[in-house]
Amino acid sequence: MWRELSADARLYSALRWPHGAGWLRRALIWWLSPGLLVLGVQRLSHRYRLQRQERGWTATTVGLRLLLALGFPLLVLRAKSHVAATTIIGPNVYLSDGGYLFLGPQRIGGGTLIHERVTIGVRAGEDAAPVIGANVWIGPDSVIYGAIALGDGVTVLPGSVLSINVPPATVVGGNPAKIVRRDFDNSGLRRSLSHNVDQRMLAGP
Amino acid sequence: MRLFSTLVRADIERCLNDRRATLWQMLCALRRELGLQALLVYRFGRLLAAGRRRLLAWPLLPIGWLLYGMAVFLIRRCYDIRLELSADIGPGCLVRHFGGIVAVNCRLGARCSFGQQTRIGRDAEADGPLIGEGVWIGAHAQVWGAIRLGDGVTVAPGARLNRSAPAHALVVGDPGRVVLRYDNSPILPAHLTLERPPETPASRALG
Repeated sequence: MWRELSADARLYSALRWPHGAGWLRRALIWWLSPGLLVLGVQRLSHRYRLQRQERGWTATTVGLRLLLALGFPLLVLRAKSHVAATTIIGPNVYLSDGGYLFLGPQRIGGGTLIHERVTIGVRAGEDAAPVIGANVWIGPDSVIYGAIALGDGVTVLPGSVLSINVPPATVVGGNPAKIVRRDFDNSGLRRSLSHNVDQRMLAGP
Repeated sequence: MRLFSTLVRADIERCLNDRRATLWQMLCALRRELGLQALLVYRFGRLLAAGRRRLLAWPLLPIGWLLYGMAVFLIRRCYDIRLELSADIGPGCLVRHFGGIVAVNCRLGARCSFGQQTRIGRDAEADGPLIGEGVWIGAHAQVWGAIRLGDGVTVAPGARLNRSAPAHALVVGDPGRVVLRYDNSPILPAHLTLERPPETPASRALG
């Protein structure tokens, strides 16, 4: 888990400072990037949940719990976001620094890019959350809900309201969302995040 | 205006799935539910606004408005929930989550519910939506204009609505249109959070 967290921090600092970052910047990135904070708190809470179920109260779970008692309020203040502990998030995921993220899918595949003001959750009154594939690009102001699956390399256009299954490498958009285009390679979109993006973003999981 | 304590009690019990709750449970709900905190500050502001007409309350009003101003400032800065005093929110309201919520120049009946990024009414329009009882408004939805929504209307997540809708209608899409009759009673009382039930074996293996 610590390795995952430091990999996330390296990705965010590489995007922010393409020419390298010293130890001070690498420490500050946790405060400067709300998206990284969301990612970090999610990974910690996921680990806490698993350890708590398997081993009960140990020194690790108590420590994680204390860290999360600090982390979740910080998440609200700094990123206006909330995340579910059950989500499994892959490597090299980039969450926007714009905040307002409400993320409760079952899984987010590696290399996925999620913009600000995105809600991913269950349909009201149901229990099944969406499954997000790898290398997905989700535009700002999107809502994704229901027992659906997004394939690998899907592009969700900004402002979409999506509650249907999406096959891999498809573009969806609109409110309610429809399939706009098939066989679209979104690596260019994911690269457009920064003009000097770290290649790890594109490598995927 | 109904009694302040009745309104507050209805709001808290709505958060606790309409069970009779002990004081401790109420305090726990208040700590956990950020929307409830915002709603209680709004109720306090409405109480102060009503106190203008009572001569006996006047000495207390300045300190009340000062407290209210500080609380509203904190709630806007920290949670980004804006429940203006020009909105008339009925008892037993439920604010799900936080962030980007605006309710202004509108009227909501009893037992309404709305979520994050929801906008009800607009600052520039003096007469906003008149919304009936038991209306469920999804996340990222926007409702504006001098319109009427009947009782039990369901506005789907992300819908944009500036036309009236009859009772028990389901409104979907942008521009919002009524698709069918829908009974929203199953989704009204449930308190829906992002937390899922215990995870699948797959997540256990990956953890």
